[in-house]
Amino acid sequence: MKDFSPKIIGFMCNWCSYAGADLAGISRIKYAPNLRIIRVLCSGRVDPSIIVTAFEKGADGVLVTGCHPGDCHYISGNYQAERKVENTRKILKKAGVDERRLGLEWISAAEGARFAEVVNEFTELITNLGPLTVDLHKIKAAKEEASDFRLRWLVGREKDMLEKGNVFGEEVTKEDFEILMDNVIETQFVRNSILTALKKEPMSAKELAKKLGVPSDVVVQNLVQLARGQMVQIIEDHPIRYEVIPW
Amino acid sequence: MYVCHCGLNIAAVVDVDATTAYAGTLPGVAVARDISYTCSESGQKAIQKDIEKYNLSRVVVASCSPRMHGDMFMKTCEMGGLNPYLFEMVNIREQCSWVHTDKEEATKKAKDLVRMAVKRAALLLPLEKQKSKVHRSALVVGGGVAGIFSALYLANAGIKTYLLEKTPSIGGHMAQLDKTFPTLDCSLCILSPKMADVGRHEAIELITYADIEDISGYAGNFHIRVRKNPRYVTEDCRLCGTCSEKCPVEVDDEFNVGMKKRKAVYIPFAQAVPNYYVIDPEHCLHLIKGGCKLCEKNCPTDAIDFDQKGEVVEFDVGAVILATGFQLYDASQKKEYGYDVYPNVITNLDFERLVSADGPTHGKVVRPSDNRPPKRIGFIQCVGSRDEKEGAVYCSRVCCMATIKQATMLREKYPEAEIYVYYIDMRTPGKDFEEFYQRSRDQGIVFIRGKPGEISEDKNHDLTIISEDTDSGLLLRNRLDLVVLACGLRPPEEIDDLAKMLHVSRSPDGFIMEAHPKLRPAETAIPGVYVTGCVQFPKDIPDTVAQAGAAAAVAAELLTKDEVELEPVRAFIDEDLCIGCGLCEFLCEYGAVEVGETDEGLKAHIIEVACQGCGVCAASCPKKAITVHHFTEDQLVAQLEGALEAQEGVV
Repeated sequence: MKDFSPKIIGFMCNWCSYAGADLAGISRIKYAPNLRIIRVLCSGRVDPSIIVTAFEKGADGVLVTGCHPGDCHYISGNYQAERKVENTRKILKKAGVDERRLGLEWISAAEGARFAEVVNEFTELITNLGPLTVDLHKIKAAKEEASDFRLRWLVGREKDMLEKGNVFGEEVTKEDFEILMDNVIETQFVRNSILTALKKEPMSAKELAKKLGVPSDVVVQNLVQLARGQMVQIIEDHPIRYEVIPW
Repeated sequence: MYVCHCGLNIAAVVDVDATTAYAGTLPGVAVARDISYTCSESGQKAIQKDIEKYNLSRVVVASCSPRMHGDMFMKTCEMGGLNPYLFEMVNIREQCSWVHTDKEEATKKAKDLVRMAVKRAALLLPLEKQKSKVHRSALVVGGGVAGIFSALYLANAGIKTYLLEKTPSIGGHMAQLDKTFPTLDCSLCILSPKMADVGRHEAIELITYADIEDISGYAGNFHIRVRKNPRYVTEDCRLCGTCSEKCPVEVDDEFNVGMKKRKAVYIPFAQAVPNYYVIDPEHCLHLIKGGCKLCEKNCPTDAIDFDQKGEVVEFDVGAVILATGFQLYDASQKKEYGYDVYPNVITNLDFERLVSADGPTHGKVVRPSDNRPPKRIGFIQCVGSRDEKEGAVYCSRVCCMATIKQATMLREKYPEAEIYVYYIDMRTPGKDFEEFYQRSRDQGIVFIRGKPGEISEDKNHDLTIISEDTDSGLLLRNRLDLVVLACGLRPPEEIDDLAKMLHVSRSPDGFIMEAHPKLRPAETAIPGVYVTGCVQFPKDIPDTVAQAGAAAAVAAELLTKDEVELEPVRAFIDEDLCIGCGLCEFLCEYGAVEVGETDEGLKAHIIEVACQGCGVCAASCPKKAITVHHFTEDQLVAQLEGALEAQEGVV
C-alpha cells in the first residue's frame, strides 16, 4: 500500500478556511499534495448529495472545512454543514464507506499552520485507510438517500426540533433525534436501494431481498409503503414483480 | 487559458510550460499561453486582445488566489467585452507552488487544478450585477479619537455623518490621558477643539448616550436602529453645577477610573461634548425609588426633566465605520501582581488620571495607600500582552511608549526618585520615539530586562518585586513604593454584537479583521463596512488618526457614487420543483426567502437584495429546487469530475 496516493477533495469556505489555505501558502508551510480544493462561499453550501457524488466518482476522502463555530461569515452556515456532514457519514456507512473518509474541520483565515496540519493528518488517515472501492449499487442508493426529501427536511429542522419540540409540542432530546434519524436513514436506505434496483429492471420481492441482502419481510413492508407513495407499482404477472413509476 | 509564472513564485516549482501545453489539449481550450506576470498591464492587455481576436467565451487564469486578484481579472474580462462571471481562476501559487517542494507532484496538481477549472468554466453562466441607490450618509460607531476624526473628514467632504457614542460624551480614552508621547503635549488640549468641531458641525449628527439595536442592509443601504437613553437633563443646562452640589449620592467616577467620586447627576469631564449634565439612572435616588429631586428643585434653569423617555431612532446610511476602540486588560486577572489587593499597585490608565491636573489628586502623584509621594517607582511592561497564558500573544504597541512618557513625567516631578522599568523588549518604532526613549535613559530611568514573577506587600503597603535581570543574570529584589502595570489593549466587549450584526470577521486576537493586512487596512471584507483605530488592532494616536482618514476616504469612495453594484451570486428557485415546504425560509439567516401563495400553490421566493449567496438553502432544500448562481451543483460536480478523472498522457 506504500505507493498509494489518495485522491482527496476539499470543499472550503471562501471566508475562513480557503483564506487559511492561502495563508499556509503565504507562510510557505508545506503539506501533502493530494488535496484538490473546491472553493464554495460557505461550508453550508456543500450538499450531501455532492459529497456522495465525490465518492461515487472516485474520491478516497472528502474534507469539508468551514469557519469556527460562532465565526461563520453567514452566521450559522457552518452549523448546517456540521449537521449535514454527520448525517452524510451515517449514509456513507450504510453504503459501506468508512465514515472517517468524510472529514469536517473548522479552520480560520488566520490558521495557515493549522490548515497544513489538518491536511497532513487527513491525508495520512486516508492513506492508511487505503484506496476506496465502492459498491456502485450501494453508492447510488446513498446518493438517492442524500437527495431524499424526508431526510433533508429532518436535517434542516434539527435545531428547531431540539429547541422547540416536534409538531405535537413534545420535547425532543438529542438522543431522541439521533434515534429518529438512524431509523429514517435505515428505512430510507432500504427504500432507495429498492428503487435503485428497480430502476434497472422490475423484480419480485424475493429477488430484491436476495440482491440487497435484506430480509424479505422488510422488503415487502417497504414495497407496500413505496406503492402507497406511488413510487412503485405491481406488474400483474407471475411471479408478481414491481417496477418504478416514472415521474 | 493563461498560466502565470509569477516570476519564479510559481515557475520555480510548477512546470509552467508543461502545464500550459497540457491546458491546450483540454476540450474547449482555444488559446493556452504562459505569461510571466499575468496581473501586469501587459498580461491583462494580452487577455483582452485574445478575447477579441479569438472571440473567447470563457477565460481561465491559473495564477495566485482568487482572493488576491480575482476581482481584478473579472474587471479585465469585463473591459475586454466578456461577462466577468465567465472568468474562472486557478490557485496555483498560494495553494500549490508555495506549499509543495516536489516539482513533479506540484505540476501534476497544477494540471489537475487547471482541468477542474476548465470543466467548471464551460458551465459558467453570464450574470448581471444589479444596481442599487447609495445613501449619501455614514454612521461612525464610537466617539473616541478614531471616530471623531473619521466623522470630521467625512463631514468636511460634505457627507452627512451620524456619530454614535455609548457614553454621555465623546472623547474616548484619549480624553483620559494627561499627555501624549513623544511630544508631551496635553492630550485634551489637542483633542477638545476637535470635539467641539464635531459638536457644532452642520453635517454631523451627534448621538451620545445611545446603543445600536440593529443594523441591516448592505453597502449603500444600511438601515440603522439606535436606542437613545434619556439624560434627564435638557440642553437648557448652563453648567452651573448646583445640581451636582446638592445631589446626595456619591459613586465611583468612570472618567477617573474609580479613583475619584462623582454624583448621580454629573458631567463626565469639564470639556465633555455635548456639554451638559446627565443623570445616572442606576444611582439617582429619584429614579431608583422616587422622592429626592434635589437637583430639580435647585436647578436655576429648569433643565432637569425626569419625564424624559428613551427613544428609538431609525435612519439609513450608505456606509458604516467601526471605531469602537479598546478596553484595557483587566489587571486583576494577573493575580501575582496583586492589583485590586495591594493599594499601591495601579494600572497605566490609573496613572494617567493620577498625574492629570483635573484628576483625583490634581496632578500630584502619590501612593493611594497613604497619599505620600513615592520615592521608588516601578513600571511593569507587557501586563496582559505577549502573554499566551493571558490569551494575548500580540504586542499592544503603545505601552512601551506610554511607560517611557509616564516615567519621564515622574522624573520631572521627582528628580530624586528611583524609577525602574521591567521589560521584555522596549519597542519604540515611530517618529522621534527612539530619541524619546534614549532621553529617558539619560535622565537616569533604569530599564531592567526581565518580567517580574511576583509582587508582595508588607504592613506599610510597601511592595517587593522579585525579578530576574536577564542582562546580568542576577536575581533582583527591589523594594518599591508604587508599581504601575502597563496593561495591554483588548478588543472592546460590545464588538461581539456589532461584528455579528455586520457579519465582519475577527482576527484570532478578537480585533476586527481588515480586508487585506497591507493593501486594505481600513476596510473590512464586508462592502460598505470600514474600520479604524484600536478596534482593528492596538495603535497610537497618529496611526489612529491616519487610519481614520483612510477609512473616511474609502467610505467616501463609495458614498460619492450614485449607485452601487450588488453581487449577483445569489440563490434562485426553480418554482416547478418547489413545493413551498418553507425549510429555506426557516434556515435563511438573512430573511431573504419568503414563502407565499401563488397560482401554483405555495412557493418560495428569493428577496434578491437580502440574499448573501451562502447557499445553505440550496444544500438543504428537500426537493433540490434551489441552487446558487456561480456555485451551481453541476458546476461543483464538474470540478469534482475534473479532479478525479485520470490525466491522460501525463508526467
